[in-house]
Amino acid sequence: MKLTSVNQSLRRLQDPSLIIVILLLVIVVITGSVLSDRFGTMRNFMNVLEQAAGLGFASIGQALVVIVGGIDLSIGAVVTASTILMAAVVDLHPALMIPMIFGTLLFGTMIGFLNGYVTIRTGVHPLIVTLGTASILNGAVLIYTLQPTGSVPYWFEEFAYGRFWSVPVSGLVMLLCFVMVWVFLRYFETGRAFYAVGGSPDAAHLSGIQCNKITLIAYSASGFFAALAGAYFVSRTSVGDPRVGDPITLSSITPVILGGLILGGGKGNIFGVLLGVFLISLLSNLLNYMNVSTFIQWVIQGLIIIVAVSIYVHKGRKL
Amino acid sequence: MIRLEGITKVFPGVKSLDNVSFEAVAGEVHALLGENGAGKSTLIKTMAGAYTADEGTIYFDGNKRSWTTPKESKDAGIHIIYQELMLFPELSVAENIFLGQAPRTRLRTIDYKAMYESANETLDKLGHHLDSRVLVKDLSVADQQMVEIAKALVGETKLLVLDEPTAVISGRESELLFERIKLLRDEGVCIIYISHRLEEIFSIADRVTVLKDGQYVGTYDVAELDRDRLVGMMVGRKVKDIFPPKKDPPAKAAPVLTARNLCVSPKVNDVSFDLYAGEILGLAGLVGAGRSEVAHALFGSISRSDGGVTLGGEGFDAPSPRESIDRGLGFLTEDRKGEGLIMSLDVSANVTAPALPEFTTSLGLDRAHETQAAKDEIKRFRVAVPGPEYGVNKLSGGNQQKILFGRWTRTCRRVLILDEPTRGIDVGTKVEIYEIIRKLADEGLGVLLISSELPEIVGLCTRVLVMRDGIITGEVSGAEINEETIMKFATAAKEPMVQSVFLGEAT
Amino acid sequence: MNQNIFVRRFAVLCILIVLISLATVVQTSFLSPSNIQDILTQAAPLALVVLGQAFVILVRGLDLSVASLMASIAVMATAFNATSNAMIPVIFVVAIVVSAFVGLVNGFLVTKRNVSPFLATLAMMIVLQGIRFYYTQGAPSGSLPDGFRFLGTGRIMGIPINVLAFALCFCILGWLLHKSSFGRKVYITGGNPTAANLVGIYADRVTIICYVICSVMAGIAGLFLVGFVGTVDNWVGRGYELDAIVACVIGGVALTGGKGTLSGAAVGALILILIFNIVIILGLPVQAQLIIKGVIIIVAATLFSKASRA
Repeated sequence: MKLTSVNQSLRRLQDPSLIIVILLLVIVVITGSVLSDRFGTMRNFMNVLEQAAGLGFASIGQALVVIVGGIDLSIGAVVTASTILMAAVVDLHPALMIPMIFGTLLFGTMIGFLNGYVTIRTGVHPLIVTLGTASILNGAVLIYTLQPTGSVPYWFEEFAYGRFWSVPVSGLVMLLCFVMVWVFLRYFETGRAFYAVGGSPDAAHLSGIQCNKITLIAYSASGFFAALAGAYFVSRTSVGDPRVGDPITLSSITPVILGGLILGGGKGNIFGVLLGVFLISLLSNLLNYMNVSTFIQWVIQGLIIIVAVSIYVHKGRKL
Repeated sequence: MIRLEGITKVFPGVKSLDNVSFEAVAGEVHALLGENGAGKSTLIKTMAGAYTADEGTIYFDGNKRSWTTPKESKDAGIHIIYQELMLFPELSVAENIFLGQAPRTRLRTIDYKAMYESANETLDKLGHHLDSRVLVKDLSVADQQMVEIAKALVGETKLLVLDEPTAVISGRESELLFERIKLLRDEGVCIIYISHRLEEIFSIADRVTVLKDGQYVGTYDVAELDRDRLVGMMVGRKVKDIFPPKKDPPAKAAPVLTARNLCVSPKVNDVSFDLYAGEILGLAGLVGAGRSEVAHALFGSISRSDGGVTLGGEGFDAPSPRESIDRGLGFLTEDRKGEGLIMSLDVSANVTAPALPEFTTSLGLDRAHETQAAKDEIKRFRVAVPGPEYGVNKLSGGNQQKILFGRWTRTCRRVLILDEPTRGIDVGTKVEIYEIIRKLADEGLGVLLISSELPEIVGLCTRVLVMRDGIITGEVSGAEINEETIMKFATAAKEPMVQSVFLGEAT
Repeated sequence: MNQNIFVRRFAVLCILIVLISLATVVQTSFLSPSNIQDILTQAAPLALVVLGQAFVILVRGLDLSVASLMASIAVMATAFNATSNAMIPVIFVVAIVVSAFVGLVNGFLVTKRNVSPFLATLAMMIVLQGIRFYYTQGAPSGSLPDGFRFLGTGRIMGIPINVLAFALCFCILGWLLHKSSFGRKVYITGGNPTAANLVGIYADRVTIICYVICSVMAGIAGLFLVGFVGTVDNWVGRGYELDAIVACVIGGVALTGGKGTLSGAAVGALILILIFNIVIILGLPVQAQLIIKGVIIIVAATLFSKASRA
């Protein structure tokens, strides 16, 4: 399946955005290998794969929402709230660890569903709706705790750090998610409808597509994947952190744009997003090897977004 | 098959359908006829469930139905080909054709192989050979229209509605389409056909229902009608009463506007013409022939890739809209709401928008002066509006259009470009607007009139340029101006479409 | 339409009165002059940001970089390490120039590069944040002249200075938006950018100017805020971007552009600050403000979108 996907991506090479990402990936890998002997090792790549998982999960969700023409600015807040929920409950009742994994995913899905529902019912721009949701979730979390809190059983860190034939479990799960979403978008009517709804909601509606249903699925999925990212961060740190999600919202958009999805919807291959995730993670890894400060990395991230969106043609000038 | 009783649909400011009843039976081609704005589109959107009627009932296949979404009507067997293309550019031809009803594999996934094959078959039936794997965004408009039509041929359709399906396709394709429609009719499908090309109606329809200004006029067997009677019913008055008398063009002095080898890549190629003060010059052609692009290029709202233009004898190269306005050029755009009016503002702000410098003093905008200007225009064009502070969004289409005439006649001293100036306007206001256009020309403006309504071109213009695929294919003047001649130039000898796939990929 | 606007304004005023009554019931000294002065002093920096944000929202934009810009300007002001009050005007001028440049970049990206406003300004937010943190290495040092404290908290004849500054900006920007031809161009551009270009208005230019106004107001607000708070940290003004948008929405500035007034936006800011105060009076945790903000922005946006569609 992985191989066909690569084939698919290669066949879409006439898409200039993917060429740019692949080119940048190659440049980063070559630069890294020249500058540091540890960068180009399989061991390091596996580490990057492990570290990329959180961003990967969040970006899948963002991508789905962007394809249907929306945007989800609550992803970071859902990530945060999920880590707190999971770590706090499990801290009190360690036996609930496994149910809470599902509970957390359900929680995220519900928040996403609410985002979608409010967007559909009120006609308010999703940007505003999800910004509002983010504020509410962050408020609730910060009332509960200002410090990292809670704990999870030791074994749960296997999700992030565990290795399966030296491949990180988290990375594998992320790749699996990408493949599943790709199959869904490519081989199922509902998945194709994502592109129809994002491409032209009016035409989709008149063609008999249930746009509201599609939109709800997209936002729910976004919430689900944000919660999955939350679970990943809990697994890494063993605590719930009220600030962990803050940077995720913006970072989740970067691979989506780099991957050639357009804001406004209706276009793009999910594997482009995966390439975007790899690019961002490898770049960050490389900058760390080069001892570039986190602060400068922020600047670089901002500039990448600006340059990426400036280069790609975007639909209209929506919010 | 379908029966509508007493349908009324009101939009803010307009009663789009007023107690309209309509019936079409299985195995007939039923034409729905009316001018732009007569309510045809609203009626079919009501059938489709895209609009919910304020009053009235719909019976389909013998049962009373009240659907609230297009999906319900689609599931019931109604397929509608809208005037605007309902295609998704990032999906392939096959995916567009089979959207929502693709062949599945045993795993319930989309069976692409089967889908591509049956899509190709469907297109072959239409005599239009396309590779169904190509993305729709890479197709020409005519090809896209054929894809849209192909969508109607899959699945079980009991009622097929076609809204102006031939607007952008060639004569040969139209013929194939008509054959196909007749086949479907003979299979027992009920077909509603909307067009304002009367020849088409006579060649394909069995019965015709006429709408005028949102009201039902009548239903007739096509066999018992002639052309003049049909036109009379559509517009509600005799043709000679609609248009003001033509005047001979003034003695040809120097042209007020000249265009030489005007190009806008890729839509307009090598367009040259002269426009004289006091004349109404028509610019005719099919949708997508490049007429609006010529207008935008003259006005400076899209950039010219080549060519020279003079205005009032002086060079007029690469102007901005601001410069065009300052030099006395006015441009009343095609899309009243999208490009013309600022719907969130009131009448006076809309009238003065291009002339703001005139109303600016050192203390800011002179509101009193603005209000007075708006009042003058309201009076001059007899706009039905309570006052200058009234929001334009509450006005009917005709009154909105008059506001735009008020806007442009204030600043326009030399040339006024009118792009579809009567679209979606009731007949009464149309007549008023024709008089206004005539009067503006008499006052010495050069008027460039772009219109898809051939009677309008024929009735008003003293000279007509016809465009096709971005070039001027003919010029007619005086007594030669008639619909047949114009159509001949507008559709003249197109290249066969078999190469379209490769053309599509090249763009 | 006029009636509709009237009803909405009336509704907003009612909310204001209800909130004040509520606050007075809970805390009887709420309407005392000193408390009112406190609240206004506290509201002024946000209100300054709101004025600028309103311009951007009117041209169908959004500026998420204002809070980050405020903090960056505050940090920049301390970088002068000035002790003499004579340096204050210099600091102001430099702050305005730097802010204007940031606004110019935002506006350029949005218009000429067609970047969606939220993305352009979100990226600007993180770029400024990175530069700021890099400069301060996480912990700002440096100092400000004493005069800043006076600007932030001082009074002239009982009126807080930052409130006076707000009043001045309100008058200038109010004239610009509601009386000048530039203001009309703002409404035309926001109402219909395509039509704006076709009536000879340089919509891009108007939009860029609005972004510049927004950033300059944020820069000025940053200086007043640092004067009010008294110390500089990397997060001065955190959350103001959302607050400013919420205030505009409450005040009836439509996110779809082209609709709303400056006074509406100012009243929106006042309502927001009142709500924050009531949260504190009621003894709720400060973070509850976030929840309330989130609820308000969704509810207010819903109400106005329904109202404008009806």
